Amino acid sequence: MPNGKAKDRFLKPLVADYEELLGRFQQTESVRFEEFTAIWRNMGFSSVFYGSLAGNEMREFCHLTLTMAFNYFLPPYSFQIRVGGLYLLYGLYHTQLASPKEKIRIALKDWEQIQKFYQDSVNSQHYDAVYIIRKLIAENAVLYTAMPQMLTFRVKKKPQHHKVCEEFRDRPERVKDLISTDMLQEVANIQGHHERLKASVLERSSIAVTQQDLPARLHSCVLEFLHWQDRHENHGDADHLVYAEEKAQQVESSNRAQLLASIKTKSYGCLAEASRSRRHRQVEMDTSISGTGYIKQAPKYHKSRAPSLKARTNKNLCGEGDEQKIQYWLLSAAEEDKTALKRQKRKHSFRW
Amino acid sequence: MAAGSSSNVNENIPVFEYKDINTKPFHVGSFRTAWLEKLKPIDYSYEDKYEENEDADFAKEMGIAPETLDELKAICRQRKKKQDYKGTLRIDKISRVDHYQDELESLAVGKRPEDPVDLVPEGEIILSINVLYPAIFERFRYVRPHMTLQMLGSHSLVDLRDAICCISDLQVFGEFSNTPDMAPDFISKDHFKSAFFYFEGVFYNDMRHPECQDMSETTIDWAKTRDFPTFHKAKMEDTRFYDLKVKVGYPYLFCHQGDCEHVVIITDIRLAHKDDCLDRKLYPLLTHKHRVMTRKCAVCHVYIGRWLTTNDPFAPNDPCLFCERCFRMLHYDKKGNKLGQFLAYPYVDPGAFN
Repeated sequence: MPNGKAKDRFLKPLVADYEELLGRFQQTESVRFEEFTAIWRNMGFSSVFYGSLAGNEMREFCHLTLTMAFNYFLPPYSFQIRVGGLYLLYGLYHTQLASPKEKIRIALKDWEQIQKFYQDSVNSQHYDAVYIIRKLIAENAVLYTAMPQMLTFRVKKKPQHHKVCEEFRDRPERVKDLISTDMLQEVANIQGHHERLKASVLERSSIAVTQQDLPARLHSCVLEFLHWQDRHENHGDADHLVYAEEKAQQVESSNRAQLLASIKTKSYGCLAEASRSRRHRQVEMDTSISGTGYIKQAPKYHKSRAPSLKARTNKNLCGEGDEQKIQYWLLSAAEEDKTALKRQKRKHSFRW
Repeated sequence: MAAGSSSNVNENIPVFEYKDINTKPFHVGSFRTAWLEKLKPIDYSYEDKYEENEDADFAKEMGIAPETLDELKAICRQRKKKQDYKGTLRIDKISRVDHYQDELESLAVGKRPEDPVDLVPEGEIILSINVLYPAIFERFRYVRPHMTLQMLGSHSLVDLRDAICCISDLQVFGEFSNTPDMAPDFISKDHFKSAFFYFEGVFYNDMRHPECQDMSETTIDWAKTRDFPTFHKAKMEDTRFYDLKVKVGYPYLFCHQGDCEHVVIITDIRLAHKDDCLDRKLYPLLTHKHRVMTRKCAVCHVYIGRWLTTNDPFAPNDPCLFCERCFRMLHYDKKGNKLGQFLAYPYVDPGAFN
């Protein structure tokens, strides 16, 4: 007899699997669906639904998979991870074995975020993501609900919150949110107003209570921070910085444009090769990316994003036991220690 | 209306009051309009929209060439592996309990009515409501026995009230050892018709029949003397679910028979979907019901107990349960005269609704 409900048993392994899949997707540095399906097929992810579950558990399990996967589709994850979450939902919805199919629940409060995501994808011309969203809606795969889960007021049971995976988090934009263009505009207006009032009241306006050039200085501070962030991440893309300085007036929009353009180059840099039947129509890279004036560069291959400060502190202080590859000398290993007898799995296969 | 609409829009989006436990109160009807505003009618309709036209529209809207569209379709299609699985097919035998456990849920899925008038309209709200059994803690220590009903937004609270089956409605009041044949005439349901719901500080009373009393008055008067916010009253039959302002996932009260109290939780509110049961006549729909053990006669252990006796010299224990036949055989002679001194009460088995 199964012990414990499906939700308790399968939650952690499922989340671990998702993070593995999305981690691999993140490393490909692309948002193309072909990449995702390659990883999916590689991992054989459809087999998550195989295995003999007790009679009704299949339905519950499918519901659990979809609910967990939906978390990756919402902020605070980065754009790439959200696209990965969308593809994950699409894959899970179609490979699930419950019949009639278990639907994806979308709560009203998340709809705005999804619309924004949709607009972003349309603007950056990621047509596969757009197509998949439309296809899911058209196939009646979505239930429009009040809340993402059914709530039964289980206060005694500790509700398990979804832990946001730190590596997938989007770059924190706290500085940008604090000092936005609107706010700078307002500060400049108030400054001007204050100067005028001062001039009308006093004859000599040599007394200065406020800093004269406050908006400009705030602006330069923000720019400096952005530069530092970029530099820290891209290991010094000088052209990138020069471009950012040129568009000094619109901090917010330029940042957005940079983000979109960077995603674009990453995605269109590695082109999908047409299948054999269409060899005569090889896809040509469109080098005329208009509107942003972004200077195209070959996409750099980074191994992985450097872990954020929060993650690093966590690791250092709340240290999880490091997994050293302990080599066992069989003669000296304890008899009860079964791990000594197991062969270590080779992480890297030999390259001829 | 226009001035208040911006704040209204934010209020009608349900958010968590306590994360993962319940939401803040919101108005059901406005929630529905909020969703319907945000979606195109085709998004929530029942038809299968995925056709060739959809792709063509998509291409036109996005301004992409048809070749790109074909490429997209080719990449995004689902690849179905044709595996030869018959050889290795393993059939798992599911126990009968598991097989029928969720049978009730799947019974009405995808049902369509014969008469198109009875079709649930698109954009209708379906609510899932859990009604818990009255709490008897010795019996129900590890489970929360409940029945789950699905209702449409256009139903009124009286529909919910009629759909709740509680055995206290069937109880017969009175001692009938002298007149065992007269028992079935007095069912509590017919006698005590008053009931009320309590949602968010408003008591909804059932006032359909002239003999219904306003049971909530005592509570409201008591609350006025203490430090409680004032409660309001309304009529159950005039209130539809669309007019309610509720929290999802928060327990509320249903009281009938004077003191039989049930906890009512609205677990889910959503728009209707193609795969739901679309026949209006089948709503309120019972999706889950906890099965209670039926108690059998103490003598034969075959038939369901119908009579409960106390102070009975014939019975092995006090109180003792008898089925109709054993009761007559033991306590009455062939002519129907009462033998011995005892008290007999008609018993309603708790598993009467299984």
